[in-house]
Amino acid sequence: MQQADNPKWGMVIDLDRCTGCSACVTACSLENNVPIVGEEDAGYGRGMHWIRIERYWEGAYPNLTARFRPIMCQQCGNAPCEPVCPVFASYHSESEQLNVQVYNRCVGTRFCGNNCPYIARQFNWFGYAAMMPEPLNSQFNPDVTVRSRGVMEKCTFCIQRIRRGEETAKALGRPVLDGEVEPACAQACPSDAIYFGLLSDPQSTVSQLSRSPRSDVMLEDLGTSPRVIYLKAGSGAIQKEQP
Amino acid sequence: MTADAVPLSQPQVYDEEEDPRQHLMLDPRPREEMNSMVMEAMHTTTREYWIVVGVLTFLVVVCLFGAWGYMIATGMGVAGIRRPTMWGIFIANFVFWIGISHSGTFVSAILRVFKAEFRRPFTRAAELMTTFGLAAGVMYPLIHLGRVWVSYWIFPIPNQRQLWPNFHSPLVWDMLAITTYLLSSTIYLYMPLIPDVAMARDRSTGWRYKFYRLLALGWRGTENEWHNLRTGINIFAFAIIPVMFSVHTIVSWDFAVTQTPGWHSTIYGPFFIAGAIFSGVSAVTMILYLIRATMVNMKYFVREEHFDALGKLMLIFSFTWAYFYFNEYLVEWYGGDLAAKTVLKAFTQPPYGWVWYLMLFCNMAVPWLLLWNKRVRRTPWLMFVIGFLINIGMYAERFIIVPTEISTNRFPFQWGDYYPRIELLISIGSISLFLLLYAVASRLIPLIPVWEVQEGQLAHSLKRFGKHEVATKSELE
Amino acid sequence: MAEEGRIHLALFKDVYPATMALDKLRELGIPEKDMTIVSGVPYSDRILGRPKYTTRLPRYSLVGFVGGFILSLLLNWGTPYLYPIHVGGQPIYPIPTTILLTFELSMLGLILFTFLGVLFESDFPSLGPKVYHPEISNGKVAVVFDCPPEIHTRVHESLAALGAEWVHRTEAKQL
Repeated sequence: MQQADNPKWGMVIDLDRCTGCSACVTACSLENNVPIVGEEDAGYGRGMHWIRIERYWEGAYPNLTARFRPIMCQQCGNAPCEPVCPVFASYHSESEQLNVQVYNRCVGTRFCGNNCPYIARQFNWFGYAAMMPEPLNSQFNPDVTVRSRGVMEKCTFCIQRIRRGEETAKALGRPVLDGEVEPACAQACPSDAIYFGLLSDPQSTVSQLSRSPRSDVMLEDLGTSPRVIYLKAGSGAIQKEQP
Repeated sequence: MTADAVPLSQPQVYDEEEDPRQHLMLDPRPREEMNSMVMEAMHTTTREYWIVVGVLTFLVVVCLFGAWGYMIATGMGVAGIRRPTMWGIFIANFVFWIGISHSGTFVSAILRVFKAEFRRPFTRAAELMTTFGLAAGVMYPLIHLGRVWVSYWIFPIPNQRQLWPNFHSPLVWDMLAITTYLLSSTIYLYMPLIPDVAMARDRSTGWRYKFYRLLALGWRGTENEWHNLRTGINIFAFAIIPVMFSVHTIVSWDFAVTQTPGWHSTIYGPFFIAGAIFSGVSAVTMILYLIRATMVNMKYFVREEHFDALGKLMLIFSFTWAYFYFNEYLVEWYGGDLAAKTVLKAFTQPPYGWVWYLMLFCNMAVPWLLLWNKRVRRTPWLMFVIGFLINIGMYAERFIIVPTEISTNRFPFQWGDYYPRIELLISIGSISLFLLLYAVASRLIPLIPVWEVQEGQLAHSLKRFGKHEVATKSELE
Repeated sequence: MAEEGRIHLALFKDVYPATMALDKLRELGIPEKDMTIVSGVPYSDRILGRPKYTTRLPRYSLVGFVGGFILSLLLNWGTPYLYPIHVGGQPIYPIPTTILLTFELSMLGLILFTFLGVLFESDFPSLGPKVYHPEISNGKVAVVFDCPPEIHTRVHESLAALGAEWVHRTEAKQL
């Protein structure tokens, strides 16, 4: 069976299942060589994590609910970060329908970081990767670039795993199976809140979930057409036990 | 009733009307005398001058190049920028200097086109501000880069990778517009300078003679040369006005084309231009006071009438700026979406509330309360203070626009305050660079365009009209 | 102007006697193209009584404008044609950005070529010896003319009678 010519990769995050445990954040950092910046810089807002878990409290005690939302680069179809880069370091890849960041082309103007409405981009303020203490620097993933200082970075939907999946499928002469390619965050999530797959395949899990009545995207009115679809959580209020 | 020309040797003062000889154009002196006044001003360097130059050089070396070098070696993290305020004081400074640079073009191009005679003595002082303001400002797009050593990729230079810059990006438009403006204003500074440098050449010896001879290109003043120069200056005056408008509009589009609430406003183009001319004219006032105070013979050329005229312009542009700013504020406050309204609320709260109030005070209260008064406008030191306050206010406006408006975005979880670190040192360095360049230029080239002053004086005369002498201007062109 | 040794310079205090000197020279048979006024401030043709001067400078400006325009077309459409990269859902050849770039580069061309035109038309830079008098930049108006040796003395006498401060045959000197 022929693979769709331009496969459109997408992610669905079920907010009912998300517990805010941050396993996805950790897994992503380890998979993608995200450096550790230290306490002081992280406190000043220079954390490099590609996913952030936003936690909002709703209601008042004792009817308090915590809402968690993991936010990473939404891989917008009309990404506002792309046209503003003066050197084409951030552009739209037609073959994977993703927003790609070319580390060795970035000159560090940080215009893309300002223009991202989801604040999903990070900048290497120092050479953090080079400053990682031994033996942490032995754990770097050889499939992923280690970024120098002065370049922007962001979630790539684990494009190295996408490529590996596509190459394996091509070598075996079949299309990529649904669920075969899994980014680190989806792999690590203990409650299976993150789904990943081809939105261009109408039968894949992510396509079916995206048609659910709970599906929603962030900041839809901006027209960015993001590829990350959230499934809205239920009320989740903690009921006081009836005697 | 016939109109007689009253000889200027017997001015007649009518009641409390001012003496018409107070006006530079009606108080001519022989060209030879004006030339020697300007040459003397250029050659006189006191001990204080050399101390100031020494201090400025030290500040430039340590604060600008030293701190910048340290930042290049260590990383952008030594500055106070962070997520989400990825642009901070560096870009605010950039916008500020480009705004200051509009002063010269406004004075020498727009006032020339409108034939405002009071511009004549200070066109060169204003044009020097433009050129040096651009020199200071053009460093900031390089300073704020994360990898400045590959900044040449922003230029369309054919390369082995066959990559070109992204012409969709406002930063590339910036690069083109600022290059165009820098070249235009340098040439526009140079062209009217040629006859004055020729005059200096005729009066100098030694290294100055060699320097001026080279700069004067062999100018003599033949009809052919004057025709070409005059036509060139006229074409330039008309051409540089749209360039000046486009430059600051393109700088404003760095912000307006984004999705950031507060930045995404259609009024940014004219708003920035009004603000630029406002801060530019105020800066010209400051420089003129400094020139009068520190250089000999300048009190003949730069008079109270010039401060008066500049003060009126400052008041007009204060109203213009306030009109555009209120436009932007009202529209966002009234029907703006939640994100935009949150930004507006952030203006009045710590930690940046004081900056916003400072901006309103300096840009509106100070001019509106003071500049309507003729006596205030004709007091040079007071105009210096007002100009200084206005520039503080305009800098506060740029600070409000750049780091404050991006610190409050659509995700409260990602709001973040910006506290500058090494930016302060580098800012001090770039101001010192501007002042140093100006101080050196003031002793290297004649600051007053004497040929333009004499041209204006030839065209002005006093004429009796009824019971009073009035100034008349002849169209000699 | 003719060969060395025939150039004369007459220095006047003001522009009016200088224009009368031009009339005198015309009377004595010196053609328009062999005389010129050299001054420290510009005077228009009409004030000097000279034939109208048509300048070629706008042609330079136009050439510069067109050159800048062509360069902008190459950058706007040529570079994305050679290496198309998709950004932000925008078309590869968008019109609004084209307008911007075209304006900037055309104005750059216009400005640069106007300046070069001023230089070319005035033969700048020319640092060789020239006929000049330093008093010209002091506000005096000079009449420089090419005088056939026969009428040399008559010319000098008439110009002196008109109030010339200084009338001599001049050698070209280093400025």
